[in-house]
Amino acid sequence: MRPLSLVGRVGLLATVVAVVIGIIVASSLVAILSLRSSEAKESRAKDVTVATLRVQTLAVEIQSSLRGYVLSENPRLNPRFLGLLREQRKELPGALVALDKLVVDDPVQLRRAHAAGTELHDYLTDYVDPVITIASVSPADARGPASGQEDKLRQQQIHDSLNEILATEDLRSQRRATHTRDVARTAVIIGAVGLAGSAVLVLLFGAWVASGVAAPLRRTAEAAADVARGDLSVRLDEGGAGEVGTLVSAFNSMTRSLEVGRREMLLQNERLRESEQHKRDLISMVSHELRTPLSAVLGFTSLLLEREFPPDEQQRYLEIVDTQARRLATLAGDFLDVQLLEGGGFELDRAPFDLVELAREQTRLFFSHSEGHELVLDVPDEPMVVDGDRDRLAQVVGNLLSNAIKYSPEGGVVRVYVGVRDHRAVFSVTDSGLGIPPEDRERVFDKFFRGAAKTTTVGGTGLGLAVAREIVTTHGGTIDVESTVGVGSTFTFELPLSLAPAVSA
Amino acid sequence: MNGKPDGRPRALIVEDEETLRELIIVTLGDAFACEEAEDGDTALELLHRSPPDLMLLDVAMPGKSGIEVLREMRADPVLQKVPVCVVSAWQSPSDVAKALEAGADRFLAKPFRVDELASIARSLVERPR
Repeated sequence: MRPLSLVGRVGLLATVVAVVIGIIVASSLVAILSLRSSEAKESRAKDVTVATLRVQTLAVEIQSSLRGYVLSENPRLNPRFLGLLREQRKELPGALVALDKLVVDDPVQLRRAHAAGTELHDYLTDYVDPVITIASVSPADARGPASGQEDKLRQQQIHDSLNEILATEDLRSQRRATHTRDVARTAVIIGAVGLAGSAVLVLLFGAWVASGVAAPLRRTAEAAADVARGDLSVRLDEGGAGEVGTLVSAFNSMTRSLEVGRREMLLQNERLRESEQHKRDLISMVSHELRTPLSAVLGFTSLLLEREFPPDEQQRYLEIVDTQARRLATLAGDFLDVQLLEGGGFELDRAPFDLVELAREQTRLFFSHSEGHELVLDVPDEPMVVDGDRDRLAQVVGNLLSNAIKYSPEGGVVRVYVGVRDHRAVFSVTDSGLGIPPEDRERVFDKFFRGAAKTTTVGGTGLGLAVAREIVTTHGGTIDVESTVGVGSTFTFELPLSLAPAVSA
Repeated sequence: MNGKPDGRPRALIVEDEETLRELIIVTLGDAFACEEAEDGDTALELLHRSPPDLMLLDVAMPGKSGIEVLREMRADPVLQKVPVCVVSAWQSPSDVAKALEAGADRFLAKPFRVDELASIARSLVERPR
């Protein structure tokens, strides 16, 4: 799972704390509402109790007034008792209605209130009124024990009914008090636990946020110090909370690109050093190669100037001077060519021309001087047009032909072939010379490499094939050699065929 | 001096370029009886057959280099006294030092002056050993 970002962590923390606080507040509200409704119910219960007691008091007062009337032997007092009784009877319906109103939503209590009302009514109509009538006729009969017994029984019934109402209200009141206490206690517990839990959560979240920031930051700082010391290979473990993860991967990509940059710089330095070394080698090689013919030219010239020689020796030494001076000239030319071709400051003067015609021209040129070799010319009758610098390619062909003549023994065969292979023009020269050992075949195209030729009497600058290779590759062609030691070598170059017709030279 | 059937000192010329061998031989002229070698191994073979009075030694040759030939000579009791002048186109200070350390008596840079070559040859043959 991807680690949460720092903002995400803080957001999650805030959400959880907010939910916990919400739960605390909600449970407190529930507790307060519950307490308030308990209070309302409590006051209604009190009213019911008061109304019930009022009815009970009226019932007792009516009984007392009736007893006073019946038992009073003073006739002056009788009207007073009857007056009281009348007032009490008048009050009774109001008290009953008040009680009914209070318990109208409570069927059980309402039923009890109605029962008490009915019993009171019956008490008044079936007992009180007849007793008053009897007492007005015969007071002694009204005072009989049977009458007292019934009064007690009926009053008891009324009291029982009203006491039931009172008992029920009392019980409910007690239950409500217990419930309210429980709710309050629960609310307090929820609040306390919630606050403690929030505190723990905040601590845990703090630790979580810190672990996602502090440790990666410390590692990054250490790695930055390593980088400052020059160690660019240092990498951090990817990952970590959002922003920290971004920092870590940015750090890694920074060190990666720094390392790549430094590697490239070192590589470039190395290439520069190599190129410098190459140049120094070339200069020292050239100066060495120049010194040999120069020694011969200067030495023989001095001798000819300072000493007397017979004419035939003079002639021979002059010929040596001539040959070596020419060798110097060729060397200088080849060296310039190599420099020019390798430096890239050399432009081909390209035009379509006939390679067959070029081959014929060059073989004619070289073999007119060399009657000691047999030429086998294997070229097609029709023209073969390539797009290239005719003078430069003539130089290549001339170089290959002169090598073939130089390295073939007197009377040896030199085979020249021109043809097409894989849609490319092919030119090859096969000599009947010593052949080139496999280990030297790659190097024959290197500058100043002369292989076994150095030990032979064959002259050369060691630059001809290097120049030839540069010219052919600049034309988009290839040049290579196949050779069998003791049999001979074949040098072949291939060039792209031109689609255009040849421009006559 | 030893081995001089005709009274002339014997010089061994070790040089891979034929033209330069001829130049040195002509320069030394009739004063020396010259032998030629075109590489190091041929030179050592001739040296062992009969030590010359003077050797002119090229450095850059196919096969054994002149320096290697010189080291082998200086390690050989018979050949260690043969006077040697190294004649080389490689003439940086380190090339010269290498030749002298290997036991060369003189160092001559190419292209050389023919009269200087002749005088070095004479002095090496005539100096007391």
